Amino acid sequence: MSLNVAVIVKLEPDFSEGNISYNADGTLNRAETKSKLGAHSSVACLAAFYAKVNYGANISVATMGPPMSEIALSEAQSICDADSLHLYTDRIFASADTLATAEVLKKGIQKMKENENENNNGIDIIFSGHRASDGETGQTGPQTAWKLGYPFFGNVIDYHLNLKDRVVTLKRLVVLNGMDNIIEEIESPLPVFIALDPSYKPSFTTLSSRLKATIFEKNAEKKVANFKSYLKMFDHNSLELDPKEVGLSGSPTIVYKVERIPKGKMNRKAEIIDGRDRNQIKNIAEKILILNGQYGRS
Amino acid sequence: MIENKKLSDLEDGNNSNSYHHMLVIIEVVDGVVLPVNYEMLGEARRLMDFFNKQYNSNEKVIAVVLGQNIKDLCNELINYGADVVVYADDPNLRYMVNQTSTKVISSIAMDKDIISKISPDFVNHYKKPRYMFFAADSIGRHLSATVLAELDSGLASDVNKLEISDLEIKHQHKTKGNALKYGKVLEMYRPDFSGFLWTTILCLDNKNPEIRRDFHPQACSIIPGAFAPLEPDPKRKGQLIEFTPKFDKKDLKIKVLNRSIDKDKIDFDSFKIVISFGKGIKEFPEDNIKLIETLSKLTGAEIGISLPLSKKIFKLDEKINSKYMIPGRVIGTSGRKITPKIYIAIGISGAIQHIEGMKEAEFVIAINTDENAPIINECDIFIKGKMEDVLPVLIEEIKRIISPLEVQAKRK
Repeated sequence: MSLNVAVIVKLEPDFSEGNISYNADGTLNRAETKSKLGAHSSVACLAAFYAKVNYGANISVATMGPPMSEIALSEAQSICDADSLHLYTDRIFASADTLATAEVLKKGIQKMKENENENNNGIDIIFSGHRASDGETGQTGPQTAWKLGYPFFGNVIDYHLNLKDRVVTLKRLVVLNGMDNIIEEIESPLPVFIALDPSYKPSFTTLSSRLKATIFEKNAEKKVANFKSYLKMFDHNSLELDPKEVGLSGSPTIVYKVERIPKGKMNRKAEIIDGRDRNQIKNIAEKILILNGQYGRS
Repeated sequence: MIENKKLSDLEDGNNSNSYHHMLVIIEVVDGVVLPVNYEMLGEARRLMDFFNKQYNSNEKVIAVVLGQNIKDLCNELINYGADVVVYADDPNLRYMVNQTSTKVISSIAMDKDIISKISPDFVNHYKKPRYMFFAADSIGRHLSATVLAELDSGLASDVNKLEISDLEIKHQHKTKGNALKYGKVLEMYRPDFSGFLWTTILCLDNKNPEIRRDFHPQACSIIPGAFAPLEPDPKRKGQLIEFTPKFDKKDLKIKVLNRSIDKDKIDFDSFKIVISFGKGIKEFPEDNIKLIETLSKLTGAEIGISLPLSKKIFKLDEKINSKYMIPGRVIGTSGRKITPKIYIAIGISGAIQHIEGMKEAEFVIAINTDENAPIINECDIFIKGKMEDVLPVLIEEIKRIISPLEVQAKRK
């Protein structure tokens, strides 16, 4: 029983210290900030790797972005030992909003079915991260799923497959304001689209799966050294996309303006204390312990 | 804003007769309407009251509710500001499964029978809703994306301010570079990840003849806690409309097998003190975290973080990362709203989304080097200084007070 898995990833600003650069006003300096495979995208790759180790999945990783996004694909390959890498790159894709991005990803994933998987049902599971760290909308995944007709499951923290019946059982973390968090267990026939919760971690409990994981990790290293031989590039022509449907033309939304959020009204009047004044700090220590009921009157 | 123009001169969009009303998608979980829904209704009411007055119109706030045995909740939604409640009551809608919910909500949004019951005048031209609100939570974020993909329009996520205006837009693609009027535009403000910038997103029809295309509804997901609900008015009158959903057989194969409360959630509510840290730990992150841990042990505090830290921005030991740099510890609109007796913000500048999470704390102490940081307006005591200098002294002084107490306790 074969299993075909696609992973959608994104090249994002590297938020780690030393690589990220902020403007004086505290906003991201995009020109100075380095890029890498997004943290949430890495989680999606881990989920795909789990499918490779446990279910022998064939993995394709895809991204839409400028040519330099191939870095993200090679990083993804090093995590999940991907069998093919797909880069959707075209000037007219630039500045797309989520709906126009989903249009490209939909066509890309449909192409994977046509080109690579002649003898089977196409892509069984698509994985994506929770959301991009820069855009932070979390909409591209569900919209791609919807356009493809795949049921979408977000915030997934665990999943298992029954390949014989082609059914997935998954757990998702539902976080709602004003309620306890809920863990929901769901069963669905394949194909599905799964967006991983940031807390997802695959676990390889059996000895044989750990051995397999080690072998695939080594394979991945070899592949990545030569990742371009796994890389396929697509533009709007090869994806048979109508230029009107992608990029800015195909985007319902625009960014109208960006402004500083005005400072809120002063809610409290702070007493300002010099951090070098030991006596004052001592008073604060007392204040904390009193309020906390550890000292004196509570 | 366009001044000195008659509003009736303004075009809404390509098909200004085809879009009407504001749909508010309500989430019912285990028989409970989540608080964010009342907040959304309050804001929808405010906007549509303005809209109807401004445009001499009569468009409605329509609450859409899916679930099982939910009919009794509908009147409550009217009390909170809805003009109409459209409800679909079906055992298959007991849980909000994205696949089925998306189809039912989209059907309701396009249903002419419903429109004929609400506003017969609109029915001939009606295509889609004008505006749509969803909650920005684990249900609404995904649902908003899939519903808008189905309705083929756009949305802004995680919005905390909204206005309706008439705008003149000049855009390379939307208007082919010409300045064109757009009426009744929903200006959707979303704070960016830094919390210091507001990006205004618009969802606009393409008026450029080469790429002409309609993009309605204008939709968004709304951050819980961003808007105030109305005082419920039991005398408010409204219309209840039942919608009978149809289901695809294959969608009903998606089954919720089990639901349980997540026990791993950090229980901030049972702590009197919460100590949070932010980007200010940057010079010596690991040492500073150790100091914060010591302070929290001495005072029995739980530890929170600001949003940027959950992106693991520092290269740290994996144990520290997985313990602290996680979304579950984030205080703010993207995380938790807490109300401890004492809140200590260490190296946190105080972006608006953080403030929203801690402003109800009884007593707030900030430790920060920058007197211009917004946190200064949200704290009772502002200790100006480096945490590397302040924390050791604070810890020492606390120990000095506590240890004799402990000795006394032991003697008893």
